[in-house]
Amino acid sequence: MIIPLIGLILGILVGMLVPVDIPINYAPYVSIAVLAALDSVFGGLRALAEGHFDGNIFITGFFANALLAGFLAFLGDKLGIPIYMAAIFAFGVRIFQNLAIIRRLVLDRLFKK
Amino acid sequence: MNNKLKGQFVIALVCFLLGLMLVAQFRSTQKSGSALTSLQRIQELTTELKTVMDEREKLKEELAEMRKRLEEYENSAADVSRVTEAMKRELEKARIAAGLLEGTGPGIVITLNDSNLPRQPGEDPNLFLVHDEDILKVVNELFAAGAEAVSVNGQRIIATSEIRCVGPTIMVNSVRLAPPFVIQAIGNPDNLESSLKMRGGIIESLQVFGIQVSIKKQDKINMPAYTGAIKFEYFEPVKAGE
Repeated sequence: MIIPLIGLILGILVGMLVPVDIPINYAPYVSIAVLAALDSVFGGLRALAEGHFDGNIFITGFFANALLAGFLAFLGDKLGIPIYMAAIFAFGVRIFQNLAIIRRLVLDRLFKK
Repeated sequence: MNNKLKGQFVIALVCFLLGLMLVAQFRSTQKSGSALTSLQRIQELTTELKTVMDEREKLKEELAEMRKRLEEYENSAADVSRVTEAMKRELEKARIAAGLLEGTGPGIVITLNDSNLPRQPGEDPNLFLVHDEDILKVVNELFAAGAEAVSVNGQRIIATSEIRCVGPTIMVNSVRLAPPFVIQAIGNPDNLESSLKMRGGIIESLQVFGIQVSIKKQDKINMPAYTGAIKFEYFEPVKAGE
């Protein structure tokens, strides 16, 4: 559990040191991508906890989700329909589900000892 | 165990990306205040800025052109001769005709205001307001009676002036006017007054609906000049003898 946390902190540090600037037009896409990344991380942690983690599935899942979400946001922008809501909804529900499963697994492990 | 370690590293990689994006997003949100309101507002402001910049560009071009013309005039003014003197007089006359000069003279002042009669329920309130047509008719009548210059609420009526209703206001020379409408006219005061007051004339028909009309003869009226821009985009004069 400690290595992903180090990765996160490292990312934040690099982000603060290197001024990556997002043009304001792309801000919605990045927020969707952030959500996709969060979803992927929780999904990966859950798979890791359950013991059937597959690095390839994880990485492809992350990029596919982020790209599809970005595309939906783009399409919604063009059509004037907030389609990105679908992505936000799906990711949000999945994040909470995964969190619940992780919590249960961790609790199980704690009480078995 | 090796697989699990590898998995943790992969997750760490994505976490790294996540942190990067988080910081970038946080920064761009911070810069523009609130993330929710800013986006739409920024789009609005961007389009507004673009139109203003276009306008500025156009004005700049216009200014450059004006400067060039002024320079030409100054150059030509350097050798004043009798010809230019005559041309100056001609120009003066043309400018008076075009309504570009301020002036004074005898005439009348007509004030029109909305009706203050108590309205019966069911009656059309439009009948009790001063309309663009009323002003148009008065102005037309004044010109027909020999008025040499007419202004409505300080807007000089020139050849291209419009008198048109725009919502609750009336537009003259692209300026919105609201009642009371003060119409000034320079000309023979008696002629002008009688043209309006004649039986079955414009004043009588306006007073039916209680529109407040007052006419004052004056020895001296200050007639404002037309102050708007004069631009001919499509019209080209035909030169004599061609």
